[in-house]
Amino acid sequence: MEFLAEGFRRAWDLLAGGDAEVYGITLLTLKVAVVATVISCALGLPLGYFLATRRFWGRRAALTVVNTALAFPTVVVGLLLYGMLSRRGPLGEIGWLYTWQAIVVGDVVLALPIAAALSAAAIQGVDPRIRRTAETLGAGPWLTAWTVTREARFALAAVITAAFGQVVAEIGTAMIVGGNIRGSTRTLTTAVALYTSQGDFGMALALGLILLALALLVNIALQVLQGRGGSG
Amino acid sequence: MVELRYVRHRYEGRVVLDFEQFALSKTGVVGLVGHNGAGKSTLLRLLALLETPTEGFVVWEGTAVSPRQRSALRRRVTLVEQRPVLFRGTVRENLEYGLRVRDIRHSAASGMIGDVVERLGLGSLLNRRRHELSDGEVQRVAVARALVLRTDVLLLDEPASSADRAAAGALYRALAAERAERPFAACIASHQLEDAYRWANDIRVLAEGRLSSVSPENLFRVELPAGEGVKQVRVGNVDFAVMTDRNGPLVLAIPPTDIFVSREPLASSARNVLRGRVVGMSIELRGAGVQVRADVGGVELVATITAEAARDLALGPGSPVVFSFKATAVRVF
Repeated sequence: MEFLAEGFRRAWDLLAGGDAEVYGITLLTLKVAVVATVISCALGLPLGYFLATRRFWGRRAALTVVNTALAFPTVVVGLLLYGMLSRRGPLGEIGWLYTWQAIVVGDVVLALPIAAALSAAAIQGVDPRIRRTAETLGAGPWLTAWTVTREARFALAAVITAAFGQVVAEIGTAMIVGGNIRGSTRTLTTAVALYTSQGDFGMALALGLILLALALLVNIALQVLQGRGGSG
Repeated sequence: MVELRYVRHRYEGRVVLDFEQFALSKTGVVGLVGHNGAGKSTLLRLLALLETPTEGFVVWEGTAVSPRQRSALRRRVTLVEQRPVLFRGTVRENLEYGLRVRDIRHSAASGMIGDVVERLGLGSLLNRRRHELSDGEVQRVAVARALVLRTDVLLLDEPASSADRAAAGALYRALAAERAERPFAACIASHQLEDAYRWANDIRVLAEGRLSSVSPENLFRVELPAGEGVKQVRVGNVDFAVMTDRNGPLVLAIPPTDIFVSREPLASSARNVLRGRVVGMSIELRGAGVQVRADVGGVELVATITAEAARDLALGPGSPVVFSFKATAVRVF
């Protein structure tokens, strides 16, 4: 118990004292998470809309692939990406291995199926008459898509939160393609793992608390948004 | 104005519409009558250019509509679906939706909305949201949302199904007022004859995806047994004698003018002699006679007789009555 209490005390000192390393890691994590979430949602939401609304050959197979991809093990994604980005790999020339960009790419691969599959489910949940009504009133394909998306906006906000949650909390890819390099690719999750293994429980705990706080903040923001929207 | 020609439309291989021609003239109002599931909504969706017929053409002002023209023409027609929905937002925002699609400026839009709102009595609902409205109010707002667009063609699918009689009356009066001011082509689909008669100047009947020129009354969906000659077909609790060689799922139509109405059974060649009670009588419709609606063993039949005959028989609601018609009078399609 004494050990735990000591951990919390050190965590508090680090956070309250504005420890440069703690905040540096946090800022990097936020940068990676925001960029990866924006990219994965920018690609995944339209893909989800397409899967939910268009009837085409192979649609069911595409949905199965996306749903299966939800359960991609992060280390496997990291491993495959490592193979691609390593010097001998097909993308070795761009020199992204052990950079924050590599972590973003890995996170996008992990969050894209979440954005696509959950937004497809959200769009499928919208009354199909909404889409038909937009069409009867003369809306073209883009405006119709926008109208349907507006109806599902709270469910889609939850999709973005889920994508962000995946990105901010994953460790496998960040560790393998980021390399956990101090000051350049050390994220909250990789740092927690490192400091725990080094026995610096207080530092790990401080970073873990920040990770929890981030998740909490994002969920509070979502709830505020949903509360404001009402049902009409 | 707009026409469907040589249409054969399928859903998942099943033929849902199959007819040679259906036309709406520039200022005509067509009542489209038929059972639920007869294909009315699909036909309206083809007219609204929301679906393309599997086979056949949509013809607009004499020219077959090409895929390129569809999106531009779609702004000249609008459809109010059966059980319409409103978008998230206020009633006013819903009314503005189609106008914004057409890039109509806010000031002009307000004027266009104001007229229709007044006509349909929606003034007090403008700031409400969809969950604050009854089904009938939603339907009225949906009709208003279509009317404000002033399209050349207005298609209404069961527009008064959620409205009570007074509200339905108000709706039809509003439509008539709108048409008096600005004639447009319209088609109203309904399974209620009264709706169609009240508003349309041409009635078309749709049954099992096929258009028929027969009168829209006394239509029954049946399964005809194989064989030739006179067949007994059960409709509700009544057996009809039908003369036909056809079999399978078909529609029976008994033309109201082919039904003899009497107080007592007549000695005649009619194979169908059905006792019942009068449940309603219409006033004389456009010189076409009086419609006598009777319940014969749980099935409602309509017969058309002259006003003089109605007087001589002294018929009124509740009167016992006998409906007779020949097995050959029953049309099968």
